[in-house]
Amino acid sequence: MIYFLQTLVGGLGMGAVYALVAMGFSIVYRTMGLVNFAHADVVMIGAFLAATLFVTMHLPFAVAITLAVLLTAVIGLGMERILRPLESKDLNLMLIGTIGFGIMLQSVAIVIWGSFGIAVPTPIPNVPIDVGGVIVTTYQLFVLAVSGIVMLLLYVFLDRTKLGTAMQAAAMDRSAATAMGVNVATSNAIAFAIGSAIAAVAGALVGPLLYVNPTLGVYVGIKGFAAAILGGFGSIPGAIVGGLIFGLIEAFAAGPLSAYSELLTFVVFAVAMMVRQTGIFGERTVDRA
Amino acid sequence: MARLRILAGLTIAALVAFACGGTPGTGATASPSAVAATASPNADPIRVTLIGSFTGQNADLGNWMWNGVKLAVDEANAAGGVNGRKIDLIKYDDQGQPTIATDLAQRAISEKTVMVYGANLSTLSLAMIPILTAAKIPQITSGQAPALLQQNSPYIFIDSTTSVVFDQTLAKYVLNTMKINSIAMISNNGTYGKGEHDSFLAELTKAGVAPTADKVIAPDVKDFTAVLTEIRGTNPKVLFIGAEEVQSGLIAKQARSLGISATFVGAAPIGTPTFVQTAGVDVAEGSVMTSPYLSNDTNAKTKAFAAAYQKAFNSEAEFHGAKAYDGMSIFIQAMKKTPSDLSGPKLIEAVRSITYDGLLGQFKYDEVGLGLHATQIGILKAGKIVAQ
Repeated sequence: MIYFLQTLVGGLGMGAVYALVAMGFSIVYRTMGLVNFAHADVVMIGAFLAATLFVTMHLPFAVAITLAVLLTAVIGLGMERILRPLESKDLNLMLIGTIGFGIMLQSVAIVIWGSFGIAVPTPIPNVPIDVGGVIVTTYQLFVLAVSGIVMLLLYVFLDRTKLGTAMQAAAMDRSAATAMGVNVATSNAIAFAIGSAIAAVAGALVGPLLYVNPTLGVYVGIKGFAAAILGGFGSIPGAIVGGLIFGLIEAFAAGPLSAYSELLTFVVFAVAMMVRQTGIFGERTVDRA
Repeated sequence: MARLRILAGLTIAALVAFACGGTPGTGATASPSAVAATASPNADPIRVTLIGSFTGQNADLGNWMWNGVKLAVDEANAAGGVNGRKIDLIKYDDQGQPTIATDLAQRAISEKTVMVYGANLSTLSLAMIPILTAAKIPQITSGQAPALLQQNSPYIFIDSTTSVVFDQTLAKYVLNTMKINSIAMISNNGTYGKGEHDSFLAELTKAGVAPTADKVIAPDVKDFTAVLTEIRGTNPKVLFIGAEEVQSGLIAKQARSLGISATFVGAAPIGTPTFVQTAGVDVAEGSVMTSPYLSNDTNAKTKAFAAAYQKAFNSEAEFHGAKAYDGMSIFIQAMKKTPSDLSGPKLIEAVRSITYDGLLGQFKYDEVGLGLHATQIGILKAGKIVAQ
């Protein structure tokens, strides 16, 4: 029982990070029907920025994470602006464009930070708390709390503000939204900026848990992507649930067959997708091809 | 007149080169190669290829290996090279990928390399052995997996020693000196981790001790909550870690945050700055490691090496650079023993004939490619290794 609960706690910690990454994939997809393949590398850039500001420049973690979020959001805006001409031609071209942008980000990271990474110390005193034999660390609680706040903020933005509603309208019907005075280009740019900002939060949070290097995006990104699909691509609640479930699958797969946990995780994922192709919240997808 | 002489010289050189190429491996080559050595003392440089990881998670290993080899080559070249011939050292990035490494090995062969230094990962070196052995090109690796020595190839050499020697020393220290036999094990199933696992477990079994837990993980996993929880349940006094630097650091960090208070023990990765940074100085405190190279202050030789290294690369010397320096120095000495014929069979014969007192200790290569037969124990105190 203790083993079960301990694994549950560990799985939720990583799951929250996957959920954030999945949300970034989903917000861009639900707004413009595009899979942003550079997203994983944006996570990595966010992690590097936060790690540099925190470790190298000795800024407080809260300041480091805020600056990293802002800088990464600007990168998201830049990416949308550069790729915008492709959107009106063919969304597939834009998709290829994001792959290219991702490779570029990885190369830039190697140029700036080198191929070797940064070990990030835990920003708050990482005290193990013993809850009836189950160890919860303060940093795990911190990750869950920050992820929860980001999820709440995104929900409020999309469902309770005019801009958020306009973005949903643009996602549902581009021409109708344009006729109603919604600027679709702005809507797309905001989606990219928000997606990238959330990626930076995920990257900053995962740094102290793992290790920041140029291939971090590959490790976290592929799982965030899988989590988004599991939850139903494009759905925000789906991304959250998908991320948490994926974290749990991974944690529990690491027990019995630890040497093959990655394999087992993705086999479970593949089987889940065969049973329910649209993902858990799969009805709400955008088709603009 | 002068031009005519150069032209004549070039023609002779070309003819000699042709003659050498035309009669491979027979006794008749003795005189033309002797002519080549005297007629053109610094004509063609000796190509040495280094294949290592310069990008990815193991880039530190690649850079350390490169620095050590480069220092040895630069010193040899400054002292006149091998019989007047300079060593032309070139590096290729295997990106930590076996497929890229084998491709680079093929390329090195086609570029007429006399030897290959690398890779810094056992898995990649293993992948290159069949190709380099078929081409009769000697390969000296920074890998340490015992599997490297079980390939029945006379062309593979390792520049320090294997997990078996490391873990014999380590297991004896834990069991006899620390007098602890409540030991849990965690290791990855890559070539290095598997070698560590098998050798350490073999030593425990020999002493009649069973580990409280024996957990194997995949090399690219970074979250160990599940296995560490199981290990915590067995309440060990010592946790043996068999993994590369970053993963070892993450294991230690996560183990402490889950409340595991066991002393961490392991081979060379546990002593590296990367491990200390990844785990954190507090977590690494008191960890027991074994390595043939504990610190730069061991003796006059290591101090001189550390000073030269600092001057050349503006960074602190450590174990991986030191063993690469030793390995390359041995090969340079071997080249000097057989300067007129640097073919693979001659070179490996020369390497095996040398007894070399290096930074790591005394090297004497045996049939399977093992040169160093002992390691030392160190304990991490405030992030630094203290010899025991």
